[in-house]
Amino acid sequence: MLVRSALRSARSVGAAARNAASKTASRPASTSSSAAEEAAASWKTTALPAGATVFAIGSVAWYFHLYGRNVDAMTPAEEGLHPAQYPWEHQKWHKTFDHGALRRGFQVYREVCASCHSLARIPYRSLVGNIMTVDEAKAMAEENEYDTEPNDEGEIEKRPGKLSDYLPSPYKNDEAARAGNNGALPPDLSLMIKARHGGANYVFSLLTGYPEEPPAGAAVPEGLNFNPYFPGTGIAMARVLYDDLVEYDDGTKATTSQMAKDVVEFLHWSAEPEMDERKKMGWKVLAVTSVLFALSVWVKRYKWSPIKTRKLVYQPPYSPPQSSILSKLPNKKL
Amino acid sequence: MPALAHTTRAIARSWTAHQLPVARASCAALQTRSLSEVSSTSSFDSPFKGDGKSTKIPSFAAYRNKAGGETGPRVFSYFMVGTMGALASLGAKATVQDFLVNMAASADVLAQAKVEVDLAAIPEGKNVIIKWRGKPVFIRHRTESEIKEAEDTKWESLRDPQPDSDRRQKPEWLVMVGVCTHLGCVPIGEAGDFGGWFCPCHGSHYDISGRIRKGPAPLNLEVPAYDFPEEGTVVIG
Amino acid sequence: MAISSTLYNIFLRRNTTMLATVFVSAFGLQLAFDSGSEKIWNTINKGRQWKDIKQRYMEKPEEE
Repeated sequence: MLVRSALRSARSVGAAARNAASKTASRPASTSSSAAEEAAASWKTTALPAGATVFAIGSVAWYFHLYGRNVDAMTPAEEGLHPAQYPWEHQKWHKTFDHGALRRGFQVYREVCASCHSLARIPYRSLVGNIMTVDEAKAMAEENEYDTEPNDEGEIEKRPGKLSDYLPSPYKNDEAARAGNNGALPPDLSLMIKARHGGANYVFSLLTGYPEEPPAGAAVPEGLNFNPYFPGTGIAMARVLYDDLVEYDDGTKATTSQMAKDVVEFLHWSAEPEMDERKKMGWKVLAVTSVLFALSVWVKRYKWSPIKTRKLVYQPPYSPPQSSILSKLPNKKL
Repeated sequence: MPALAHTTRAIARSWTAHQLPVARASCAALQTRSLSEVSSTSSFDSPFKGDGKSTKIPSFAAYRNKAGGETGPRVFSYFMVGTMGALASLGAKATVQDFLVNMAASADVLAQAKVEVDLAAIPEGKNVIIKWRGKPVFIRHRTESEIKEAEDTKWESLRDPQPDSDRRQKPEWLVMVGVCTHLGCVPIGEAGDFGGWFCPCHGSHYDISGRIRKGPAPLNLEVPAYDFPEEGTVVIG
Repeated sequence: MAISSTLYNIFLRRNTTMLATVFVSAFGLQLAFDSGSEKIWNTINKGRQWKDIKQRYMEKPEEE
């Protein structure tokens, strides 16, 4: 088909060229051509651009057919099951985080996740005014010890934490974390929602997606657990959330999915603490710029109105009977 | 060569002489719209000059303001333009402000800018050195005799004259940045000829109020901003 | 008509007064717009923000 279209376009190029040549040749002989000839010329002239377009599109399609498709290193199963889109309330354009859920999610993180996963980019001070009060945050900071600056003898001592300190990590460094987890590194969760394809949906699906037992035929290596949402399906982390694992202080029932939802919303906050402010600012910018746009349209019409409403007066030319302007040109033959 | 120049000049002169009356005539024609004058003076007849009758002005009634009166529409258009200016200046202000705020200290720096010290742990007559914004800060719990000595010194004749009352908020607590004002060494406490601090680098002596008494340093030890939010603690910064 | 001509004479006749009016009204507009949008935002997100729920946690230490 491609070949045929290419041939056709080539033929039409030839036809158009012939047509153009005949036209230039015939012009001196007859200045006015017949109506039939005009019609014939018009379909021939459209054939050239049409053919060229078909040829261009066809060759791009052919190239894409050969080289343009994705090359996947992994099968869909190895990529992991695609998570469903959940109706997150806090991801709507006009909604903030539910700070009660953030508080519950932080509790889940502290009581469950924090035994393996760090949250090293979150300082205590950012919890103040979002998740807990100043006094609660101070008390929590003081539960942990941090290194001091070197003293007079150059020794580093321990001091209780302050609000400017960051949340403590469960392991001293990555090597210690690997050693404690059969060589698998529990990633830092501070930016996890932004770092993973699928974001909140992925983390929620992963936390709640552990089946009772791996499906028949699935090969689960020793020391790994089966999770269809994890790329490769073999994940070192076992299922951690079970009903009533934590006790919420606001009386919410701690089901598995409730805990997963809360901790995912909390992790979304930790990855994007500026979200509330960002959305609010965005709405304000949209409001101001849309009013500005309307005003500028009005001002443009106002400024252009003298030009748009002007009227041109045409007086028919005064023709002296004796001469036309063409007669004054030096070359009288045309 | 001279002949060529001569002819050129002659041509130029003749050209101007020939052109000028025509130009003047066409000017006049534009002003008066008189046909006869153009045709009489110009050798070129324009075919587009019309029949010379007076121009009929078309009606602009459709565009005219129906209500009559100029002030209403004028105030309205000034209002629209002014509102646009106000909104645009709001946006410009917000943009500039955001860029400037961007240059301010970030939250983690600000969080470390204040240091809270528990004063109950400092016995009378002892120094404590703490780190504040990367610099050492001396906190001295002064005894009665030291306070008396600091206040009785004739400060008017010192190198950097300053009374003790300007250098502390509470007489018993002296808080100073522990950086020698000479070349930035850290002075040693309870040393020197005046019972205060002594800089080991170049031998500056400070008294029990942190004032320079002897040596190369030009100024007294700097006093940072601090306050006592409650009894027994001091917040520096 | 009388109102518009007084408005014109007070604010718009001189360019400097018009400029001053524009900037002063920009300032007022900012205050009004900021507080208005804040109010709308808080109504949309009622019960979700920290300032809506902090009362629960602020009172607790006082009771104990």
